Amino acid sequence: MPMFIKRVGFLINPIAGMGGRVGLKGTDGLADKARALGAEPVAQQRAKQTVDELLRLLSGASSISCLLLQWLTCSGDMGETVLQSAGVSANAFEIVHRIAGDPSAEDTRQAVQHFLKKQADLIVFCGGDGTARDICSVAGFDVPILGIPSGVKMFSGVFGANPAHCAEIIYAFLQDRLTTAQADVLDLDEARYRAGEWKVQLYQVALTPFEPKHMQSAKTLIEDIDETAIKDGIAEFLLEQFRCDASMLVLLGAGSTVKSVGDRWGIEKTLLGIDAVVNGELIGRDLNEQQILELLGKFKTRKLVLSPIGAQGFVLGRGNLQLSHTVIRAIGSQNIIVIATPTKLARTPVLRFDTGDAALDRELAANGFIRVITGYRRRRLVKTML
Amino acid sequence: MPEIEKRSIEKTVYELSSQGRSTNLMPECDVPEAKLPVDLLHEDLHLPELSELDVVRHFIRLSQRNFCVDSGFYPLGSCTMKYNPKINEACARLAGFSQSHPLQPIDTVQGNLALMFELQEWLKEIGGFAAVSLQPTAGAQGELTALLMMRAYFRDRDETGRTQILIPDSAHGTNPASTTMAGFEALEIPSDEHGNLDLAALKAACDASVAGLMITNPNTLGLFERNIESIVRCVHNCGGLVYGDGANMNALVGAVRPGDLGIDVMHYNLHKTFGTPHGGGGPGSGPLGVSEKLASYLPGPMVCRLKNAEKSEPAEKIKPVYTLFTPEKSIGRMNSHFGSFGVFVRAYAYILQHGAEGLKQSALHAVLNANYLRERLRGIYPLSHDRTCMHEFVLQGKIEGSSVRAVDISKRLLDYGFHPPTTYFPLIVPEALMIEPTETESKQTLDAFADALKAIAQEAVDHPETLQTAPHATPVGRLDEVRAARKLKLRDDGLQIKL
Repeated sequence: MPMFIKRVGFLINPIAGMGGRVGLKGTDGLADKARALGAEPVAQQRAKQTVDELLRLLSGASSISCLLLQWLTCSGDMGETVLQSAGVSANAFEIVHRIAGDPSAEDTRQAVQHFLKKQADLIVFCGGDGTARDICSVAGFDVPILGIPSGVKMFSGVFGANPAHCAEIIYAFLQDRLTTAQADVLDLDEARYRAGEWKVQLYQVALTPFEPKHMQSAKTLIEDIDETAIKDGIAEFLLEQFRCDASMLVLLGAGSTVKSVGDRWGIEKTLLGIDAVVNGELIGRDLNEQQILELLGKFKTRKLVLSPIGAQGFVLGRGNLQLSHTVIRAIGSQNIIVIATPTKLARTPVLRFDTGDAALDRELAANGFIRVITGYRRRRLVKTML
Repeated sequence: MPEIEKRSIEKTVYELSSQGRSTNLMPECDVPEAKLPVDLLHEDLHLPELSELDVVRHFIRLSQRNFCVDSGFYPLGSCTMKYNPKINEACARLAGFSQSHPLQPIDTVQGNLALMFELQEWLKEIGGFAAVSLQPTAGAQGELTALLMMRAYFRDRDETGRTQILIPDSAHGTNPASTTMAGFEALEIPSDEHGNLDLAALKAACDASVAGLMITNPNTLGLFERNIESIVRCVHNCGGLVYGDGANMNALVGAVRPGDLGIDVMHYNLHKTFGTPHGGGGPGSGPLGVSEKLASYLPGPMVCRLKNAEKSEPAEKIKPVYTLFTPEKSIGRMNSHFGSFGVFVRAYAYILQHGAEGLKQSALHAVLNANYLRERLRGIYPLSHDRTCMHEFVLQGKIEGSSVRAVDISKRLLDYGFHPPTTYFPLIVPEALMIEPTETESKQTLDAFADALKAIAQEAVDHPETLQTAPHATPVGRLDEVRAARKLKLRDDGLQIKL
């Protein structure tokens, strides 16, 4: 029987989540303070739950007995300890990065470099948004990543629902039952959050295991199988609507969904910025509030295309603060077009607006529902909440 | 555990091919020879070469591997895989029906037209509609036809700004697909926590841009839309039309008339509700029933009875009694002739055999069977909604303490000799297993199916890998569906024609 080797990079941010229990809004740069306040490490325990469950699943599966799982990890609290305590044999894991002193973000980045060199099939990490950012800053699009949720903040789309769910995802991925999809990696600015300001920033797009749920049945409109095709459909539908007015200013918001519209239109859309398009030509990139207002003064007809942040559902007020309430009022709420793939909406049941102008937020939230474009000539009515 | 048969893969006709073997018994050419264009000529077609016996055995073996209603229980939700009575086949094969030609003069096919006319009339009565056209040849074509009629209706009223078709999130995937094909835009409306259309969302969506609503009742969760009258009123009040997806009519036939609920247009699936074959067994048929306001837009030709036909003198009875007509504002034909005539004969025979009371009894028994099965499975699998169901119900393929999924349960059912339910649909229920037993199954069959699902639930805990690698007793084992969807292989490598 042929043997298949799968390599899983496994990394724990041992301080992740400590700040939450003691009322700190994140643990970045505050591990010592958290400890002083009596915080206990939580990441190790959650990572072990995933490993235990994965080993249980693997031990019960005769179909993949020909699969050899090779762990790549870091020394001590960043991985080794958990694998040992879960009973993973010493020859089934390799320490690819040794920690000297307290684990740091730099250790995370170096470990990921080693995972890539060793051709990991998947990187599993235990932490929060900060850890996800550190990992994908190195991993990029080269290898899919999956987060075991353990941080104070987890806005990114790369996390499983809980440790056991993560084990099921890893198990299915190792059997080649899952494909990969793009997910936004977000993080909150912790310093500003502690000052009472909630600013979520989109940092990067990562690959993550993805389950094509809807495969069966001739009755089922096959959606979710191919996210690219759906995004192409959205882009085509938008083009169809904008084509009739060559002098219309189209502002494209931030995020991977809107970027894919730009890609389809053949323009160099920025991932994180607000860009402007007129008659298919890019006329402004990464615009700030003032620049947007200047453009709005020049064009009579205008549309703004936005996509909500997955899961938390903010359409405005998170990650796109240049779209201030002044800008939104100038654009007009009737000119805002919200787009999202069905997959994103499946984990984003409610959409929110936080422009800092309560009256405007109420206007945007309409009568409790807004129409979201989900494909070519397809919209969905989605609940809104203030 | 069922006995596992040894697997044997049936070879393709290319693998069975033997050079020089032939069934070629072509007669001598008795017409002048004509030369083909050079670019169409091939020296090496690589066509399979087999004897007649090889071909017969190959296809007989394949046909014997086909799972069908005649060979086993087929609880495919929203497909109504009921038994297709053989008397219907006998009727369809009567020479007067099977050997007539669609282009024959109508005075030579009066019997066929009489059958079509009466079927139109019966379907009007069953659905509570003003008129019926038999044109559409499938349920989805019925949807498209209805939407094209709605478009024509609003164009005549100078209401071309009505571009939105409202569709519940539990709807069949064909609804948004037909909507797009007809040039409308689909607006999906969420369901509420009870599995019904969310009335608040519907009210928020109803405005002057709405052309209509497509609704399936009972919906694909197998639940009767409790608010159907409010829903219809809401859409009518904003000037829209209500389309009924008749795919689940087997729960209502003879008991509830959609037209009485205010539905403006609905397609029937003769191949579901009226016991005609479908799937690989025969063509579909999706006649449309409409209210008075849409009657003049129906596709033709339709059949009518000539006026004064009753008053004809005996000597004149040979004159045509039935003829064809096309409604005044008709959207035109939906196919080249009259629809699936052979299916009409079967459905006619089915209705005639059942009568009004028999049809009602079939719906009541379909609902009873579904509720019986649902209760047998209660506590073993989570129910999507704990409500009395109609003709079908949705379970979740999740077992506490096991990592198996709906697909694993479905595949394992094949080993127990049952066709799986509709799996992963409706989309709004995670790990959905949608079960429709129909009225034609006995209590013994339902019990055997429930026992199998119960045994599978136990296996899911004790030996999950047995499910995750199922099926074991079929000629072909678990297929890689992800790869199959992404890397389509649409032709046999043996077919090496240079294109």
